[in-house]
Amino acid sequence: MKYKVKKDYGRWLWVLPAIALVICLFVYPLGSQVFYSFTNKTLIKSTYGIRGLSNYTAILTDPDFWLALWTSVKWTVLSLLFQMLIGFSAALALNSIKNKVARQVYRILLIIPWAFPTIAIAIIWKWLLNGIYGFIPTLLTQMGITGQLPQFLSTPDLVMPTLVVVNVWFGFPLIMVNVLAALQTVSQDQYEAAQIDGARKLHMFWYITLPHIRNVIGLLVVLRTIWVFNSFDIIYMITGGGPANVSTTLPIYIYNLGWVNKFVGRSSAAAVILLIILLTICAAYFCVLNKWEKEADS
Amino acid sequence: MKRKWIATTLACTMLAAALTGCRGETETETRAPAADASAGAAADGELEGEITFWHSFTQGARMDAVQAAADSFMKLHPGVRINIETYSWGDFNTKWNAGITTGDLPDLSTAQNTGEVVEMINAEVAAPADRFLDSFGRDRFSEKALGDMTWDGSTYGIPYYSHAQVMWYRHDLLDAIGAEVPETWQEFYDLAVKLTDDDTYGAAFSCSTNDLLGTRYLNYYVTSGGGSLLNDDLTVNLTSDLAIEGINFWVDVYKNCSPAETINYTVLDHATLFYQGKTAFDFNSGFMISGVESNTPEIAEFVDAAPLPKIHADDPDYSAEATHIPLVIWEKSEHPEICEAFVAWLLQEENYIPFLEAVPVGMIPAVAGISETEAYRSNETVQFYSNAVDVISEAIELGNAIGVDDHGASVQASYLTSQGIIEAMFQDIITNGTDVETAAKSAEDQLNEIFDMMIN
Amino acid sequence: MNMLTRLKRRMGEIGCYTYVTVLAVFAAFPLLWLFICSVKESGDLLANPTSMIPQKFTLANYHNVMVNLGLGTNIRNSLMVSLSTTLIATVISSLAAYGIVRFFPKLGNMMSKLLIMTYMFPAIVLVIPYAVVMGKLGLTNTRLGLVLVYLSFNVPYAVWLLVGFFKTVPIGIEEAARIDGAGRLQTFVRVVLPLVAPGLVSTAIYMFINAWNEFLYALILTSSSSITTLSIKLHTMQGADVLNWGDMMAACMVVVLPSVVFFSFIQKYIAGGMTEGAVK
Repeated sequence: MKYKVKKDYGRWLWVLPAIALVICLFVYPLGSQVFYSFTNKTLIKSTYGIRGLSNYTAILTDPDFWLALWTSVKWTVLSLLFQMLIGFSAALALNSIKNKVARQVYRILLIIPWAFPTIAIAIIWKWLLNGIYGFIPTLLTQMGITGQLPQFLSTPDLVMPTLVVVNVWFGFPLIMVNVLAALQTVSQDQYEAAQIDGARKLHMFWYITLPHIRNVIGLLVVLRTIWVFNSFDIIYMITGGGPANVSTTLPIYIYNLGWVNKFVGRSSAAAVILLIILLTICAAYFCVLNKWEKEADS
Repeated sequence: MKRKWIATTLACTMLAAALTGCRGETETETRAPAADASAGAAADGELEGEITFWHSFTQGARMDAVQAAADSFMKLHPGVRINIETYSWGDFNTKWNAGITTGDLPDLSTAQNTGEVVEMINAEVAAPADRFLDSFGRDRFSEKALGDMTWDGSTYGIPYYSHAQVMWYRHDLLDAIGAEVPETWQEFYDLAVKLTDDDTYGAAFSCSTNDLLGTRYLNYYVTSGGGSLLNDDLTVNLTSDLAIEGINFWVDVYKNCSPAETINYTVLDHATLFYQGKTAFDFNSGFMISGVESNTPEIAEFVDAAPLPKIHADDPDYSAEATHIPLVIWEKSEHPEICEAFVAWLLQEENYIPFLEAVPVGMIPAVAGISETEAYRSNETVQFYSNAVDVISEAIELGNAIGVDDHGASVQASYLTSQGIIEAMFQDIITNGTDVETAAKSAEDQLNEIFDMMIN
Repeated sequence: MNMLTRLKRRMGEIGCYTYVTVLAVFAAFPLLWLFICSVKESGDLLANPTSMIPQKFTLANYHNVMVNLGLGTNIRNSLMVSLSTTLIATVISSLAAYGIVRFFPKLGNMMSKLLIMTYMFPAIVLVIPYAVVMGKLGLTNTRLGLVLVYLSFNVPYAVWLLVGFFKTVPIGIEEAARIDGAGRLQTFVRVVLPLVAPGLVSTAIYMFINAWNEFLYALILTSSSSITTLSIKLHTMQGADVLNWGDMMAACMVVVLPSVVFFSFIQKYIAGGMTEGAVK
């Protein structure tokens, strides 16, 4: 039986609260943000005027913007790559541990980073890496690995890699948990059948496991890309984008324009540009995912 | 059909109830019942109403002293409620800037310095304090301090306490190498390099973009050469020979006698190094003493202050930066009369001296006559560090806020320190090896552009 | 089974154990260090940066953060905000998701695609307009204001997730219930919801975590220490007059430990909460 759709106005009531919420708290603010991007509004003055595209040209000609974009790309790609590698391999390793108690204990230990609120991540890692009293620099020096205390958060070449390590630490458990859940949906029958056929482990992984969990992985990559690209607080709280902008990603660049320099108009324009970039990336991703889904259906 | 309607209405009501429930509670906590504009003063002239006071004394004895004064004030005026919120200096500027947009502003607040008051005037959020000053007595405050907050004939802030930037040193470390207290920048630099070893650093140079240290240090040097960071037309000047020399000087200090990490350090992180005996020299106000006493009491007796170094030993005496921490009454306040009464209460001897004693030597009285009182004089720390007190008091007399010098108060002066651009310039030079003149020019242009957008 | 295979399997297992052990140290060490530092005295903390055993065990830091700094209030605030957000968002989004699946079969697909687009909006993009809106509504510095903001970020994503779960409910069951005379909402509550309960729980947990960890909006939209959340309180401690690492460690410990316990209990549910519904 198909549900009778005609003249059923009551059905709108189900979705109305959600639609109202999205419109009031999403569409309207977004609209005003786009509007501000064409003005010279500042944080502290009540008057402002329309300035056309001048904010956009100012941003697109600002070398710091391009630097921030590049930093964002590095930050996202590296973080995601290692989160995926470690998260995925950890899930596989956990899955092949047969002892139930051991598996449970390891699982709990491995998801600990996920339970840290970002501010706590920032505080503990700043403390661990502190260039004067930090555990890690001091240990490295005591072990004779480095001659003097390494400065993870201020040596320009070390800052981004350090931040990526922190982000991987925080992010891999989430990947692991999701992959683990997906792995458990692969039916044992298929493995057993393959084993009878004498298939090698690697083959089984490649032809049975991977296709089965491909969609989960694909989706995870999409969602995490967006999330990491957008993440603001972890870098803001650890280095604030410094030194000398080496860790300034686009969200930090936008924050600084708006809340430090007080250029609301220009910061809005940068935000709109960020949004366009994200929409493009996601459109591409979803195209691929759709294709996969169709392949899976057929 | 009917059931569905009932159900949906029910769901909506639930939602609404949940929302209002939430709100009800917050309201009772944030806004008192009778915060009515007209209810400011009851018929008998007794004060009545609620004010919010933001200050930046986030911890310890200062916070307690202010709270105690507020409590006794509320006891005296049962109709008055004072809500105190504290923010670190770092968040304070963002907080009130956001407040202009969100409408969440206090009735009374401290400000980081007189320059921030000028920013508040420019943003049209500060109220003139003339009525209070006239009744309290303008001549009881430093003329310079009031001048720094005067705009179009009105004064917008009330000095709460003062301090000034001086040089701090450890005479045990100087004695150990048989050195005298340096008088010129060159002498200071040579000694700092000499005192830098595995465990101690000669001096730190910090330039976190969330703070003003880069600007402050550059300003020391430029002022010592008789220059200024602002031109007469209130544009920025970072490219004069003197400024370039100053930038080079501090970059050298960073490279040769400072921990590398300080590139990201704020005032607090930076000062903590000296508190913990990690640096031999530092430049700061009298807050150093209580910092050292609480962190490493065993070195406290070796700490002393001297005037900032000069370029040539025979240059005239100068002071690079004197700061008066003001109290500001906000334009939107519905109860300026309560704010005024409370400020007068804070400045009364029995409340004021305990406040100052919370950080002795760190906070020098801004009200005339207090420093002569027995109660103030009898403080042990003030007595022990009397030389430092004299050096600081002299620097307060001679000095102004950064960028104010001969040009008078201006928004530009305040923006010099609040934008982190000079700090970013230092980071750029140190990190990327950018040519000093190029970096200075680019920072100069950026600041001038901000001036254009914010002020005109 | 011959020796060689057995040996190989044994080696494989040892390899797995070694790998997860190394990872577990990497994952858990910061928590351990947090604990050690939180019970050290401040002199010890700075003098012996690598010592694993405190010279003297002290709870002074905990006393300080809970009693003198009143961290308890902020824990309560965070709980209130996160729980209300989760509760309200779950109601709104499960209604909407079910509505989309059952009553808008054609529009539904497009709707949920539009919804997931909202997930890619960086929080930073909307912070200024939100500040303006909350200012106009008079909701700045209230917990309600924060709840509303968090709702706007969580509801679209939750709807999108739940649509996946509701799709798995066979329509036949509902029809049977309806023939028995149950109304739409009754069918929904009594028949459909229990079937998607696991999905609902994992979505709710996901939202709770989001709200619990949020930083930027709480920073801009709240100002009183009696209103604001834990994250902001910890942030404020970092900029306090006195930089006290011991206090900060204790405060972090107070925040993190319950989360770790909570996480280990709800593991079963979080597994897949993020993607399960969406790929069903």
